[in-house]
Amino acid sequence: MKLKFLITSLTTCTGCISTLMSLDIFPQFLERTKIEYFPFISDNLEIKECDVALVEGCVSEKNQIEYLQEIRKNAKKLYALGTCSAFGGILSLSNKKESYPISKFVEVDGIIPGCPPPSILLGNCLLRLVENKKIKLSLKNMCSTCPLNNHAKLDLPITIEKIVPRNDEIRFPGENLSCFLNDGILCLGPITRDGCDHLCINQGLPCEGCLGPVSKGFIANLINFLSLFNLSKNLRKYKGIYYRFSKSHVGGKV
Amino acid sequence: MDKVVEACTRVEGRGNLNIYLKNDEIYQTELSFSVFRGFENILVGKKLLDIPKIVSRICGLCSVSQTIASCKAIEDLYGIDPSNQSIMLRRLLLSGELIKSHIMHYFFQFFPDLLKIFKINTEINGPYNLINYNPHLTTNVFDLIKIGSEINKLIGGRVLHPITPIPGGIIFNPTQKNLFFTEKYLKKGIYYIETIIENFIDLFSAFDPPTEYNLSNPIYFGLKNNMGFDRYQGDLRIEQNETTYDDFQVKNYSKYFDKDPNLYGIMFKSNLKNEVLTGPIARYKLNQNYGIDKIPEYLSNFGKKWKSNLLFLNFLQLIESYYEIQKSVEILNTTSLKSKTKLKQLKSIKKSNGIGIIEAPRGILMHHYHLNKAKIVDQVKLFIATEINLPILNKMITEYAKKLNEKENINSIKEKIQIMIRAFDPCISCASH
Repeated sequence: MKLKFLITSLTTCTGCISTLMSLDIFPQFLERTKIEYFPFISDNLEIKECDVALVEGCVSEKNQIEYLQEIRKNAKKLYALGTCSAFGGILSLSNKKESYPISKFVEVDGIIPGCPPPSILLGNCLLRLVENKKIKLSLKNMCSTCPLNNHAKLDLPITIEKIVPRNDEIRFPGENLSCFLNDGILCLGPITRDGCDHLCINQGLPCEGCLGPVSKGFIANLINFLSLFNLSKNLRKYKGIYYRFSKSHVGGKV
Repeated sequence: MDKVVEACTRVEGRGNLNIYLKNDEIYQTELSFSVFRGFENILVGKKLLDIPKIVSRICGLCSVSQTIASCKAIEDLYGIDPSNQSIMLRRLLLSGELIKSHIMHYFFQFFPDLLKIFKINTEINGPYNLINYNPHLTTNVFDLIKIGSEINKLIGGRVLHPITPIPGGIIFNPTQKNLFFTEKYLKKGIYYIETIIENFIDLFSAFDPPTEYNLSNPIYFGLKNNMGFDRYQGDLRIEQNETTYDDFQVKNYSKYFDKDPNLYGIMFKSNLKNEVLTGPIARYKLNQNYGIDKIPEYLSNFGKKWKSNLLFLNFLQLIESYYEIQKSVEILNTTSLKSKTKLKQLKSIKKSNGIGIIEAPRGILMHHYHLNKAKIVDQVKLFIATEINLPILNKMITEYAKKLNEKENINSIKEKIQIMIRAFDPCISCASH
């Protein structure tokens, strides 16, 4: 029995759907499922009953709430696809525009985080969904498997001076790169969920936290995390260091 | 006055088709966007090194173009140029993005329409039918999309929202393995794209394209580089016809066009008689010669009627993909790529205006950042191809809708107008930045 899928977007860059369509398993996914609604590649505009709904993008407009509720009514399971949908996403940086994760308005059965979700994570999640299984995310933080973990000898409190290394400071793991926090560079690894194979860290850059928090206790974690630091003067008023990808309304079963 | 609104399908992003009627007569038709995100505001006050990462999120299909245009604008502020090696790597990334973006649009969004327009197959009503229509073609399409993604992953660090391009160059630490695989994928890609091009020629070249898709002397707008076809650098050209054109340096753009960041749309200032078109057709008209042996042969399958028709854009998407794969193989064979990149230092800001331009898959993409006296970004202007093309798109769909109005019902009109919108390959995410 093929499961029926609904895939759609709210306010978004379409990056999660484009990642989904670039997966090795995308042809297999199309063969093994029945696509009921997928406006990016299909003409049907009628929301029908489905087994799994994947929604990318944040809620930024009033009419999206009704649309989302209509999807929820018709979907046995609803998953937030990507960081905008799961946490509010990049528009959280805006002063003028509100952006919310979908879990503020409807119950969510799970999230597939990332900006975009890492291909392996997304591929594994999709395969499980096609087989009507629950998706699994790591319950550990980035540091737990970080290639630089052995180099972390944190001398607290740390003074954070920079959000990225200078161009001449960029090193790769294996080239005497030490933990970014040691060097006074903000890395969100300690409060970010593991699951991307350290894409940024492997390029010599700190974690930006695009996979979002590990648990619901994000705010508490964040406050604990911040208490370890002194922020240098030039960063104190800088908006969007910690909340780049998330509004504080973090919810849903994760 | 009545207004009929229909949500667009098979386009990038969320757009609506609005049809305005007076006494049952259509008098105007437009593509509109339901959401504006306000990136130009978000960027005010941001640290320069943060900006490329934020603008990348404007669009999940053009994220490489957005990131690189942004890096170029910031490099302009610092008065530096990245190394040749960094430029070559950025070109590779741009190629990966273009292949994926063009092929996804061609196959998933427009191929069913082409089959319908030429009455070859009118039965394809969903992705499942589509992938089973010609399994060999489908396999080649999926493999090419994968190649685009793999290049972006190997060079950019991620399939989209690339990590490695930063102001000053591109972070790259090549291993024999990733260079070997990139080249292997690309060489296979040549065969795949040739198959898709030949399939297009077999299916459609014998027909004349429908006249309603004719482009009536648009003004072509794009980068013009003496070295030939190039999407990374060059001066700008606005061409009314082969003998009447303006060439100008990017820094002087505001003499020719501009925008108010708080308002929607781009204004062209010179006395242009027609609407402006940027993207694959403009690049073809401005450069003619791609400098790759097989391309003139492919193009010779199509006569004048095709070459002044909007549907040619979809063939040019394949030609450009072919060109970029060939160029990427060339780049990979240069020895200087095989060492770790050296990044330029960002020492002191030299200017208060920084402009970065490239040709994104859909045409000109330009970022302009202005700094105040404290060297903080206080104004941002983003010039996006789909915004530039919107007036010509709206003009063509209005004319077409008026013509259809005489003999067809509104549902059939909505369907046919949507096909024309898709032929333009609008990027609504970018346009609704």
